[in-house]
Amino acid sequence: MLAIQVLINALVLGCLYACIAIGFSLVWGVLNVINLIHGSFIVLGAYLAWGAYNSLGLSPWYALLIAAPAFFVFGYLLQRLLLNRVITAPVLVTLTLTFGLDLILNNAMIYYFKADYRKLILNPPTGSISIFDVVVPVDRLIATASALALTFLLYLLLRRSKVGRAIVAVRLDRDAAVLMGVDVKSIYAIAFGLGAALAGCAGVLMALIFPISPLTSSAYLGKAFVVCVLGGLGSVSGALAGGILLALVEGVGSVYLGPAHAVTLSFVLLIIFLVVRPQGLLGRKGFE
Amino acid sequence: MFHPRLAVSAFSASLLLAAAGLGATSSVASAQDVIRFGAPLPITGPLAPEAVKQQQGYDLWAEQANKAGGIDVGGKKYKVEIVYSDYQSNTPRSVQTTEQMITQDKVNFMFGPFGSGAAKAASTIAEKYKVPMLAATASSSQVYDQNYKYLFGTFTPNDTLTTPLTQLVKAKAADVKKIAILARNDLFPLAIAQEMEKSAKANGLEVVYFEKYAINTLDHSATLSQIKSLNPQWVFVTGYTNDLLLIRKQMVDQQMKAGVVTMIAGPAYQEFIESAGQSAENISSASWWHPAEQYNGKDIFGTTANFVKLFKDKYKLEPDYAHASAAVCGALFQMAIEKAGSLDRDKVRDELAKMDVVTFWGPVKFGANGQINSLEPPVFQIQAGKPVVLFPDAIKQGEFKLGVN
Repeated sequence: MLAIQVLINALVLGCLYACIAIGFSLVWGVLNVINLIHGSFIVLGAYLAWGAYNSLGLSPWYALLIAAPAFFVFGYLLQRLLLNRVITAPVLVTLTLTFGLDLILNNAMIYYFKADYRKLILNPPTGSISIFDVVVPVDRLIATASALALTFLLYLLLRRSKVGRAIVAVRLDRDAAVLMGVDVKSIYAIAFGLGAALAGCAGVLMALIFPISPLTSSAYLGKAFVVCVLGGLGSVSGALAGGILLALVEGVGSVYLGPAHAVTLSFVLLIIFLVVRPQGLLGRKGFE
Repeated sequence: MFHPRLAVSAFSASLLLAAAGLGATSSVASAQDVIRFGAPLPITGPLAPEAVKQQQGYDLWAEQANKAGGIDVGGKKYKVEIVYSDYQSNTPRSVQTTEQMITQDKVNFMFGPFGSGAAKAASTIAEKYKVPMLAATASSSQVYDQNYKYLFGTFTPNDTLTTPLTQLVKAKAADVKKIAILARNDLFPLAIAQEMEKSAKANGLEVVYFEKYAINTLDHSATLSQIKSLNPQWVFVTGYTNDLLLIRKQMVDQQMKAGVVTMIAGPAYQEFIESAGQSAENISSASWWHPAEQYNGKDIFGTTANFVKLFKDKYKLEPDYAHASAAVCGALFQMAIEKAGSLDRDKVRDELAKMDVVTFWGPVKFGANGQINSLEPPVFQIQAGKPVVLFPDAIKQGEFKLGVN
């Protein structure tokens, strides 16, 4: 029974990890920018959910509707006004720029929200459901379902919409896309905006599950990074596969080797992947 | 890459800065008679929330001391000035900072940096320069086993928290036979978990699980499922506020129930109780001090209630043991200096060594190794959203309640 419980835990956690990583993967895949501000976007989304619930009584499900457009605009402007200026520079420059932006946003959050840990407590609590002694918390289930839905929406957007096709085209061959009349700068800004919107939504969902503090942003960023390497860049389903693989390794590792070694194990896996299969589980050049 | 010219200009810049610092020091000293206390703190970095607590404690004391005219040294009043410095949550830097404060900022006395590790490292410098150092947040016995003459600390050893807890559980919950211990892999949380293991074994409890989790662990579901399958009646978890909030939430998620759930060190902090909400109910814990204590002290704060009131007035929040320990360190220096009637470091050190006094923090008497040995740390439990003291009997506020759902 313990084995099944651990498996179920890992599946659910894997979807949460995918939710954390998907926006990061999109930006990395399309813009070739390692977006270090991603973790702070997630935390900001969590504060949005927390604030909306505690001061306006707005349930996190509605907060999702605010977070998505708000973060899209924020991300779009950031890319348009700042990142686009250095987007053609070597990867280290964009890395440094997002690192600096992350320091600013993170410290601004420490200043306004303080470093104290907060928790969004739903009233009434959502509780857990149990089937044959296997327990699954409802809030995690909902977050998992939302993560899957967001992933599916992104897939549809990239697959079916004109903007989505343009994003994929830019990812595949930037120069050819320019020749076809694609406005690369605005596509970059849209892709970055989408990444930020996904991070904001992830933050709203994570607020239900994890304690909220600016200090947790690096933990989210670390997970996103590992998930992208494991799952492979450039595919929506890669993030899902990477998330589930990571959660499984951590879960099984902490039961059989002890929780102190679970993190070690996940990074050993990361190194193995980098050496043996650098494109990840499902990595492809195009993003679809 | 190494740029000699850059290095030279950085070096000369730092010399200039140092000179400016020295200049500032002497002008302050001549303008008014002050006693300078050095306080190296992790103002930035992961330990920043702890630095804020200590700083609030020191500042409250300095404010009170100055409001009363200052510290009386042989009939002459001296103002208190606290010199802060940020060591960025980096222990080696706390050693440098301490040395800088003594040699360049010319402080008269030192407060220790945060926690056992940094306090142990920095105490070597204080000892070298024979500067009395009071450590507000160092509990591990390894800090004091160097037999330094100038180091004193206001936290009793870790086992003084776990032993009364075990005895209380044994007395009130006879059917608790199995304990599971989960510890954050970090100096203090691990040390206290190891003390708990010793204490449990000595009292005939079966330790069915003892594991460490890594710092920054984001999910504990697998670990908790495993603990649940072992059916312990007592779950003992150590960590900081963030870890404990997450673990408590995941325990509820997994529908884990136990007769006794103990968490150290989060529940002593008001932010834990607020953030955990209903799930904090009946969680037990222990700490070195509690605002519900009722001591009638001879220090500047007097009673515990007066300290709590002054603190609440100034900061609009309930003080916890970290705030109180910092404040009492200041108050102890004040008493030792006034008794010595001099700013001579050796005389003040001797007064600290033979101190035997009741304060708002509790009775204070240091052992030969410098660590306090007179304090009885309280055991408490969160009941109806409030911490209720269960031990020691003299300040008991309620009965131990079983059952954490």
